[in-house]
Amino acid sequence: MEVANRIPQIMVVDDDPDTVSILARHLQREGFVAIEAISGAECLRLVHEHRIDVILLDLMMPEMDGFQVCRSLKQDPATAEIPVIMITARDDLDARAEGMRLGVSDFLAKPVFRRQLANRIRAQLDMLATGRATEAALSNLEHAHHADKK
Amino acid sequence: MDAAFRPPGLHGLIGDHPTIVKLRALVERVAATDATVLITGESGSGKEIVAHAIHAQSVRARRNFVPVNCAAIPHELLESEMFGHERGAFTGAAAPRQGLFATADGGTIFLDEIGEMPLQLQAKLLRVLEDGIVRAVGADRSIKVDARVIAASNNDLVAAVKRNTFREDLFYRLQVVPIAIPPLRERRSDIPILIEYFLDRMRQRMPGRDWSVTREVMVNLWSYDWPGNVRELVNMVERLVIMCEDSVIDMPLLPSNLVSGSRLAETRIPTTIGANGINLNSLVRELEGRMINEALKQTSGNKQAAAKLLGLKRTTFAAKLRRCGVIAPSSPDEADEA
Repeated sequence: MEVANRIPQIMVVDDDPDTVSILARHLQREGFVAIEAISGAECLRLVHEHRIDVILLDLMMPEMDGFQVCRSLKQDPATAEIPVIMITARDDLDARAEGMRLGVSDFLAKPVFRRQLANRIRAQLDMLATGRATEAALSNLEHAHHADKK
Repeated sequence: MDAAFRPPGLHGLIGDHPTIVKLRALVERVAATDATVLITGESGSGKEIVAHAIHAQSVRARRNFVPVNCAAIPHELLESEMFGHERGAFTGAAAPRQGLFATADGGTIFLDEIGEMPLQLQAKLLRVLEDGIVRAVGADRSIKVDARVIAASNNDLVAAVKRNTFREDLFYRLQVVPIAIPPLRERRSDIPILIEYFLDRMRQRMPGRDWSVTREVMVNLWSYDWPGNVRELVNMVERLVIMCEDSVIDMPLLPSNLVSGSRLAETRIPTTIGANGINLNSLVRELEGRMINEALKQTSGNKQAAAKLLGLKRTTFAAKLRRCGVIAPSSPDEADEA
């Protein structure tokens, strides 16, 4: 259900540059374009410069942690609908509860499994495709309706 | 449309996810037309509920909504079920019988699991869709029927077309308006909303009773993948309510398959070695991961403080975090393997 004419762009956000490049390499092997960000601030800047489909967000980062980044993304109408997948070594009830509250699309504990990560990203891309297909069906119906009236 | 629009009976599409909001708008819009609709979605995602909602909101609402499960009716009987038969049309046809299409006259016929329909019958259905004319098995004459057709299938109809087990022309004729219902795990943020909705329904059914879900239960339900989709979630909420003796739905009530990942539930590190032996490497990794996780939890994610808590240098800690921390090749017990 992915858009055929465009390679999905996935942003990887983690304060550890090695982690970012490991994840980015993996994403490229899976056929995605990876956009790298090594801080929350960089994520919030880059998200406006690219058409990002899904964001993989680390929870524990200095200065601005993953929750703060997520909150900013969700508050901005321009970025609110981008699915956020939280990836974290800190997987406990409090972290998950906060992720749930903030409306993250998925929550993965490190280490993530290769296949699992790709599947979770594809699930979110499928959901975006469903949204676009629904919009198209809706607009086709509107056009047909207007054509009938004329 | 109002994002909080929640008509009774449309619980396949309850939620605030942008796609679900659009889907509700589409359902409402398509109900005002007579267009043929093809609904796709996994098992339990609420295809029949959506079909019924389209019927109930249409001008046909006062007439019949006739669901037909094409997979449940034996192939040799499906044609006479759908189109009816004359007396003596085949062995056992002692009396003439009206078909389901005729029953749906003025209303809606819902053809579920349409992918299971035999090819020969698909040709006949295509003709019905083109001119609305139905001929009963063994009949000389045809009758005109005005039934709106809503079909549904799992997501595999495109594959069936490629395999030549489903007619391409019929596929396009059905798919005038496609409605795809996403699986619940792709819109996790709607899970708490759905749970509250179903609890509310139970409150109405059992006046005077009330239930609340603990945060821990809610997080576990949110983390679960719901392969049976909304239907599985409804069943689970009802089961939890029935099993709940007071008013608080807490962890002991949750079935074990719903308790998420090893780290949300305590696993035990063995202290003895059984006859089958152990895998020391994986055990060490497990313990290391858990201690790192615990240290990060206690220090609210401060890596420097966490390293100190574990008696490690910051660089060693960072390396461990990365090594046990980023990405692992898929393991055989990985649930997402498929």
